[in-house]
Amino acid sequence: MKKEKKKLRIALAGNANVGKSVIFNQLTGLHQHIGNWPGKTVEKAEGTLHFKGYEIDVIDLPGIYSLSTFSLEEIISREYIAFEKPDVVINVIDASILERNLFFTLQLIELETPIIIALNQIDMAQKKGIKIDHEKLSEILGVQVIPTIAIRGYGIYDLLTAAVKAVEEKASNPNKVRYGKEIEERIEKITSLVEGINLPYPARWIAIKLLEGDRKIQEEVSKADPKILSFVQEMAREIEKIHGHSCSTVITSERYEVAGRIAREVQKIQRISKIPMSQKLHDLTTSKILGYPIMLCVVLSIFYGIFTFGDYTSTYIGDFLYSFEPFFDQVISNHVLKELIWNGAIEGAIAGITIALPYIVPFYLMLYILEDSGYLSRIAFLMDVVMHKIGLHGKAFIPVMLAYGCNVPACLGCKIMETERERLLAAFVVTLIPCAATTVVVLGLVGKFVGIEWAFMLYIIDLAIIFMLGRIAFKSLPGEPTELLMEMHEYRMPHLRTVVSQTWFRLEEFIKIAFPLMILSSIIIKAIEILGLFEPLSMLLSPVTVGWLGLRREMGIALIFGILRKELTLIMLATILGTTNFGAVLTSLQMLVFSLITMLYIPCIATIAACVKEFGWKKAIFITIFEVLFAIFAGGVILRIFMYLGLP
Amino acid sequence: MLVPLSSLREGESGVITSIKTNPRGRRGRSWGLLKRLMDMGLTPGTKITVVKSAPFRGPIEVYVRGSRLALGRGMATRIFVEIDK
Repeated sequence: MKKEKKKLRIALAGNANVGKSVIFNQLTGLHQHIGNWPGKTVEKAEGTLHFKGYEIDVIDLPGIYSLSTFSLEEIISREYIAFEKPDVVINVIDASILERNLFFTLQLIELETPIIIALNQIDMAQKKGIKIDHEKLSEILGVQVIPTIAIRGYGIYDLLTAAVKAVEEKASNPNKVRYGKEIEERIEKITSLVEGINLPYPARWIAIKLLEGDRKIQEEVSKADPKILSFVQEMAREIEKIHGHSCSTVITSERYEVAGRIAREVQKIQRISKIPMSQKLHDLTTSKILGYPIMLCVVLSIFYGIFTFGDYTSTYIGDFLYSFEPFFDQVISNHVLKELIWNGAIEGAIAGITIALPYIVPFYLMLYILEDSGYLSRIAFLMDVVMHKIGLHGKAFIPVMLAYGCNVPACLGCKIMETERERLLAAFVVTLIPCAATTVVVLGLVGKFVGIEWAFMLYIIDLAIIFMLGRIAFKSLPGEPTELLMEMHEYRMPHLRTVVSQTWFRLEEFIKIAFPLMILSSIIIKAIEILGLFEPLSMLLSPVTVGWLGLRREMGIALIFGILRKELTLIMLATILGTTNFGAVLTSLQMLVFSLITMLYIPCIATIAACVKEFGWKKAIFITIFEVLFAIFAGGVILRIFMYLGLP
Repeated sequence: MLVPLSSLREGESGVITSIKTNPRGRRGRSWGLLKRLMDMGLTPGTKITVVKSAPFRGPIEVYVRGSRLALGRGMATRIFVEIDK
């Protein structure tokens, strides 16, 4: 008999920070794929595994608290569940915060999708003195509940077995969530009206969402039958009259009441006399006095560590790869071909490798360790005030911090912001931040030949410009700012395998975006050089470079190279000027202006690619052109201010 | 006594009575803010405790329904709580 692979689709759903991604990693290992949801700046993680003759696709839905339509993540999750109909949804819940997690579980049940529950982090709950009777929970909800400790792999096998069993036996038949009598009556009335129209959602769910004032569902229903909406409005007004709160508030409150009641029924809480370590750490790291110095120490030592490590390994790897050049010289005798292939394509690739491995990998590792442990949310709490000045909230500090390493992951990291507007605003700020390569230029030119205090001064000017532009962008973008509203979960040990695999997939993403462009543009620039177009090009640019910016004409060429990678501006400057003793051939003012422009003028080609991926061509090109023009403007203005003041 | 959540000192708690939305905001926006707070468990009748407030008028840390939340100060001024005094 031919054995055919049976296919299954499982979706993981739950709040943020409940260990969902750890379970995802335990299930799929390295057989996963991370991308974006089609046309959205929301991450999509998929993986496959084989179990009991099934080929199982696992999809990790974004961590959310509700299925309303506040964020893109919520819409994507509920549309996926309703339209794609996974065979079973594994709802991962945090045993130590049962009430809040059950609130989400109830919404999944209302969506009438087959679910089973992974009651995760039961060890952490125990430390807080919380014991949960999972059998009783299962009985009340009518859903299978499997206790798990994902980071130790405990319960994962049982979870998978239960998921397969739930599909095979169609065993998932959860109990309905019941509201108060006056609401139930009205839900029923609306349900019977809605049943006639053809929507991919369950009728009762549509009725509830209509009463909650869900915009998206209102639109869909009014397309089919606009009369229903006016009826719903009447029903909602009646409920408002009875309760004195808006109908949406009443329903949400009652749902929370149900969640709270279930939680109280199944959990026993013992007072624990000892304050847990995680609580002490939390108090210390958010302390008014010590919080900031601790944060400064952590962030600075991470930067120091990464740059030291990166500098060392980068040189080492670079030297190693360049040692193949003589060998290459022998194989290809044609000079032009050699120039194009080695100095063009291969050097582009080498540049990618010497940035990606030594800097990006440790950066991502640290980021995920910080995030997984919970410290990142404390940093967001502390930095909220500062980020507010540019209309962003505390979470934006994370991409901003990343950007000082490399703009590419920072741009991709803007996804953590809630709304599209904030993502774009954060990305704009991020592309203005000097990355590691830019720092090399500033230190190597201004720091070395003008004085370290001038390099420092440039950073302050840059920061001021970022704040100013950020504010302008914040004022001119339509929509209201979103404020910080974020859970600060308990500190915990990061799960190393999850951290490593997240880093690995991020690296893959970086390579896919950046490498082809680095290689291609490297070849193009080499070709321009071979064709002897540099001289005419620098003549063409001279009104700007010489006239407005007071630079030497050749420096325009170095700036063109910077589009590839920022540190190339310095390397090319040395090549063009024929010396590394820049102090002898350039004035201090020229070096200052040149460095400032390098800081601001264009996101490098890889960053532009990352922007295109996240926000589309139009916005990416707009940001790029704006920044080039602005850098030229700012450079000239600063030059004149400095000349007027007689500095330096 | 009815006061905004932002006026509570560290360690004080109250029961949420209402959330005032920005009257100038478009309906969609204020619905979004309100819904978001509700979804995080800040429904009327819920006990809420201010654990800490960040310096320089930064966000506040509250304890609600068994978990810790960081809440922007602007939001906290719109949440009204009943305290016994």
